[in-house]
Amino acid sequence: MELLAIVWTFFKIGVVSFGGGWSIVGLIKTEVVPRWINESGFSSLIAIAQATPGPVALNAATMIGWQRQGILGAVLATFSVVAFPAIAIAGAGLLAKRLRLDQRALQESLRTGTLAMMAMTLWVLLPKGSLDPILLGLGVASFALAAFTKINPLWSILGAGVVNAALRAIIG
Amino acid sequence: MPRPRRDPLYSKEYFGPECPDVSDPTPVQPTVPRLFWVFCSISAVTIGGGYAMVPVIGSALEKKGWVGESEFLDLFATAQSFPGPLAFTTALIAGRKLCGAKGAAAAGLGVLLPPFGAIVLVGALIGRLGKLAPVQDFLAGAGATVPGLVAAMIWKMAKARKWTALRAVATIVVAVALSLLPGLTIPVFFGAIALLYFAERKWSS
Repeated sequence: MELLAIVWTFFKIGVVSFGGGWSIVGLIKTEVVPRWINESGFSSLIAIAQATPGPVALNAATMIGWQRQGILGAVLATFSVVAFPAIAIAGAGLLAKRLRLDQRALQESLRTGTLAMMAMTLWVLLPKGSLDPILLGLGVASFALAAFTKINPLWSILGAGVVNAALRAIIG
Repeated sequence: MPRPRRDPLYSKEYFGPECPDVSDPTPVQPTVPRLFWVFCSISAVTIGGGYAMVPVIGSALEKKGWVGESEFLDLFATAQSFPGPLAFTTALIAGRKLCGAKGAAAAGLGVLLPPFGAIVLVGALIGRLGKLAPVQDFLAGAGATVPGLVAAMIWKMAKARKWTALRAVATIVVAVALSLLPGLTIPVFFGAIALLYFAERKWSS
């Protein structure tokens, strides 16, 4: 049953969602493409998830649940992603008394792991096959704006959408 | 809570120094509904996920006098050592600190609710308009920025990182392992964290 598959998939994704949402976007992609959504649909979905309020991974889960199974799918997908984090935080008080972890070593190893997950996300998201020059240009421009200016990425996302739609309308 | 208006009838000329000082209202105590409302309203208006939301949450809680600045930094550090979206884990931990389990539930639901509504709304809109060519081109253009934005985040994280040989080698090895073994993300990730934890303790001061 697809609903159960959605719940299990997003629960698993929630388990490794250290370091914020972006690090698990790659994992979400390998889990849902092409099973529930196609390649270009996924990129648009992530752009929408980032341009609406809320954490990107959470929004992506809600959206996939919504598209596949309507409102029930959206509710279950959302709660599945945050289920493990909520359980972990609730249970941590009990565990912390028995297990004394070196916080600095833990934080540093999580940072390394998160950066590796981000690199995997980038690898998974890079377009495969023939490259459209306009889309490539928009991708490079958004990198430059986000890396070297303080402009909110929201404007890159919306601007790139408008530029692409306008150019295609002119070219025909 | 509506602020009392400054009415000339209630000024010091009439009532002397007993007049309540409007500029210094007594701080409101954290309650479960208030927690829900604070987190819900921040979540509704902040676009950009956890890194955009956490500073706003911090200043809102400080302004209300519920959590001090250094207390909030501790809270945030704790939130970072848990999995989950940062805005959500920060809300849970702050909510629990202020109002126990009910506070955590209220703050967490407050963070989840507005994006949920927004996504269902946008999803329904795209379901209606998604077949139109200009809408499809808009979405394709917006989607093209995603790898660029991720690359920029990596760039910034890499620049801010305190690099050691161990960390550099480990980042590359783990990234390659995760990319080559997409079905084994959970064991690879936690195995790497466990090994790195002991390596960090042994070799980094």
